[in-house]
Amino acid sequence: MTFLTIPSSAVLLEIIQGSLVWIAFIISGGGIIAQSFRLLKMTRKQAMPQLSSNAQYASQTAATAKNVWRHRLSVLKISILETNPAMATVSFIFHVCLFMAPMFLLAHNILLDLAFEVSFVSFSEKMSDSMTVVIIACGFFFFLRRIFVRRVRIITTVYDYMFLFIAVSPFLTGFLAYHHIFNYHLMIVLHILSGELMLVMLPFSKFFHMIFFFISRFMIISEHSMGSPKRLWQY
Amino acid sequence: MKHKIKLEIDTAPIKSILNQNKKQIKLGLSMCAHCALCAESCFLYISNDRDPEYMPAYKFINTIGRLYKKKGKVSKEALEKMGELVFDKCVLCTRCYCPFGIDIPSLITLGRRICRSQGVFREYDK
Repeated sequence: MTFLTIPSSAVLLEIIQGSLVWIAFIISGGGIIAQSFRLLKMTRKQAMPQLSSNAQYASQTAATAKNVWRHRLSVLKISILETNPAMATVSFIFHVCLFMAPMFLLAHNILLDLAFEVSFVSFSEKMSDSMTVVIIACGFFFFLRRIFVRRVRIITTVYDYMFLFIAVSPFLTGFLAYHHIFNYHLMIVLHILSGELMLVMLPFSKFFHMIFFFISRFMIISEHSMGSPKRLWQY
Repeated sequence: MKHKIKLEIDTAPIKSILNQNKKQIKLGLSMCAHCALCAESCFLYISNDRDPEYMPAYKFINTIGRLYKKKGKVSKEALEKMGELVFDKCVLCTRCYCPFGIDIPSLITLGRRICRSQGVFREYDK
């Protein structure tokens, strides 16, 4: 009599599609919250100089609408939009699609509706499909950039390729499954597994730049910060 | 009589600096996506024929980053090479622009502190 039996593929599939998804979401969500708090604990509030009156403020800054806009545009001039417009555009499109495509995908929303009877609005299938193609194309652009651009290659490690692959693989397998290219069942299992892997890795790897970006650029006072930050690093 | 001066690395002060600033170094290293978008913000990179060794990310990864990963156990030659990166290839003008907001100059400053603790300084009379 054996106590340990290898579960059948149907049972495995049930686990991958069921409990593992929720575990991945819980780890990801909990991890993001915990890591964000950890990061915020590394900062402290900085007292900002207070100006006594509006009149004093006006006399010191002469903040006319023209000046304000000139300042805002000059900030853009020292950002990557000026120095590297192609990369800035590609990475912006990549990151927007990376979030929008899975969130507003019809098939995901149907699953969400079946589980909780609530769902987001959905894009048309054609639009989601195009966004997936855009993500794969952008991923390929990053891949080529890592190989052929000298300054990128010199700091690239094997992990960078791995992270790029993990980020793109849910979209690649999803695309292949949707179009029934290769074995549909295998692709959908790989799609779910790679998605779960990416979710779990989000708070504990380089993918956490997703949160770090907003904390360091919008909450920390620095030359390149955006918005009105009021904190400083206190490691 | 000819003395052969053997310069060894004293890892204790290196470890102490690394431990004091562990959180900062770890965060900087783990958040750097190796995107190389900081390159153009360095005037030395631009004026040295776009040599990638002048790129801010390269400079901090290969100095403080390497020291952190090796827990300070590096050879004197390696440390001298690092000294070249942090003293000669960076002037700490603090103009580097990281899209993620990593404070690269402060990491390079830590690299300089470690180099100084081992007798590696900027050589003005080279």
